[in-house]
Amino acid sequence: MKEIYLYDIAHGRSGDKGDTSNVCVFARKPEYYRIIEREVTPDVLHRYFGDMVKGEITRYEVPSLGGFNFVMQHALGGGATMSLRLDSLGKSMGSAVMRLKIHVEDDEL
Amino acid sequence: MKKIAIGGGQGFWGDSPDAAVHMIQNADIQYMGCDYLAELTLSIMAKQQLKDPSKGFAPDFVTRLLREAGKEAWEKKIRLITNAGGMNVSGCVDAIRTWAESESMHGYKIGYVTGDNIKDKIPQLLKDGWTFPNFDYDGDFNDIVDKIYNCNVYIGHESIEQCIADGADTVITGRAADSALFMAPLKYEFGWAADDWDNLARGIMAGHMLECGGQGAGGNFMYDWRSVPRMEDLGFPIAELTEDTMEITKAPDCGGLISEQSVKEQFLYEVLDPSNYWTPDVNVDVSHATIRQVGDNRVRVDGIKGKPRPDTLKLCVGYHKGWKTVSMLSFAWPDAYEKAKYCADVIMKKMAKRGMKADDVHISFIGLNSLHLNVADMSEEAIKNLNECVMRIAVFSEDKNECAKIIPEISPLQLNGPPGASFFGGRAHVQEVMALWPTSVPREAVQTESHILTVG
Repeated sequence: MKEIYLYDIAHGRSGDKGDTSNVCVFARKPEYYRIIEREVTPDVLHRYFGDMVKGEITRYEVPSLGGFNFVMQHALGGGATMSLRLDSLGKSMGSAVMRLKIHVEDDEL
Repeated sequence: MKKIAIGGGQGFWGDSPDAAVHMIQNADIQYMGCDYLAELTLSIMAKQQLKDPSKGFAPDFVTRLLREAGKEAWEKKIRLITNAGGMNVSGCVDAIRTWAESESMHGYKIGYVTGDNIKDKIPQLLKDGWTFPNFDYDGDFNDIVDKIYNCNVYIGHESIEQCIADGADTVITGRAADSALFMAPLKYEFGWAADDWDNLARGIMAGHMLECGGQGAGGNFMYDWRSVPRMEDLGFPIAELTEDTMEITKAPDCGGLISEQSVKEQFLYEVLDPSNYWTPDVNVDVSHATIRQVGDNRVRVDGIKGKPRPDTLKLCVGYHKGWKTVSMLSFAWPDAYEKAKYCADVIMKKMAKRGMKADDVHISFIGLNSLHLNVADMSEEAIKNLNECVMRIAVFSEDKNECAKIIPEISPLQLNGPPGASFFGGRAHVQEVMALWPTSVPREAVQTESHILTVG
């Protein structure tokens, strides 16, 4: 068992709709899909972000693309217009998700 | 077999025109769509138009893109479709006509679409019992009615397609849905029926992959940004469709990257639920889509499905919310973060003494945690030898005077605070905060119209 960054096995991009942040996450190799499926759940992300994400987190699976869409509500401090954050559009929410530490078995990589 | 190629020319208002110009000069395309409108852009344009009625659209479409390559596009029969009209479609059309006349482009046909701006219809809709529920938050629409800057409906493809059918060389819209700019010509060319949901969905996703410009061709590419060739000449994506295939590529002789991964990152971008990606024209289902490399800088996209369009249309209302001030002060090694944090405390104590009534305060440290906030690495190792750190304090209030109180308090701390502070960028100023009220209207409340103006 070892600890790695999600970034080591995944890539993606973040966007916004109002105060909702949308982060898509894709497995860098097809066999990593199930690791992401196991390790990156809405509960894990809720604990990880704490009060930075105030609303519901939903995970949508798209296995045909080896990817997921994470939709996080009330995640941008009010959204593009109202947010006092430097990154009001959540452009760096994608890399924030990617620095999540996950656990993998030695033979999984 | 008939093949139509359409390019993406702009990702937002302020984007570089270089890729669009290169594409017109070098790519074999029949159409180019140019998206200028983000969620808040119309509110900014509405505010500009209030000050100067000739403003309120994206002049760059004319002053940069058309001036550089508009005539060549016309000569090559590349038809341009854009939402650059923003809040002032007729102002944009006038600017295009003036340009076309100066280029002696007799017979140039400017198509334009009206009907997305429904601000005048709001009182009647309220009387009829429509409540404009906020999709994101609780709240009563009546509380913001007096503070509205703009009310624009995300309209679909219909009137754009009509302009194309009527021979428009360029089509100007206001708040058309980004992807409708691209789907409309594809529907026209292939003769898709208005309820051919699978094909409409294909057209919408072609637009979706193009509407963000360079982001669909190796820009903002997390997978491996170092592998993207010649970002200084980054090309924008092109979609090539036949009756049953769709491929994404880019113009010859430009930088950028079209790969399975670069297209994937754009494919699900801002889609929310992949089984129900709602647009005015069709409810798109990409939950079984596939993307695979089929050539050099060329991928094939399959498996896109569509379901019937919604009965309501998305309405974006921009309104005045309040005011904000953003203040910054930089600190050098040693103890850069510790000093910046101490200084933020000093300022907030001073503001408490002055009785500043802020509705919200956000403090972060640029160079350390201003982007990743809660999940930034705040370990002692990350902090102890920091070269520099910028304190950033953002204050929001509904009262402009409250926001102004912090402005003169920042620069004195160069002399009155911890050592190594540098004030930069000049004094902060109070900025207006506009907010969005995302809601919907019944489809029947919206009538769009197509028009053609021919340059004499």
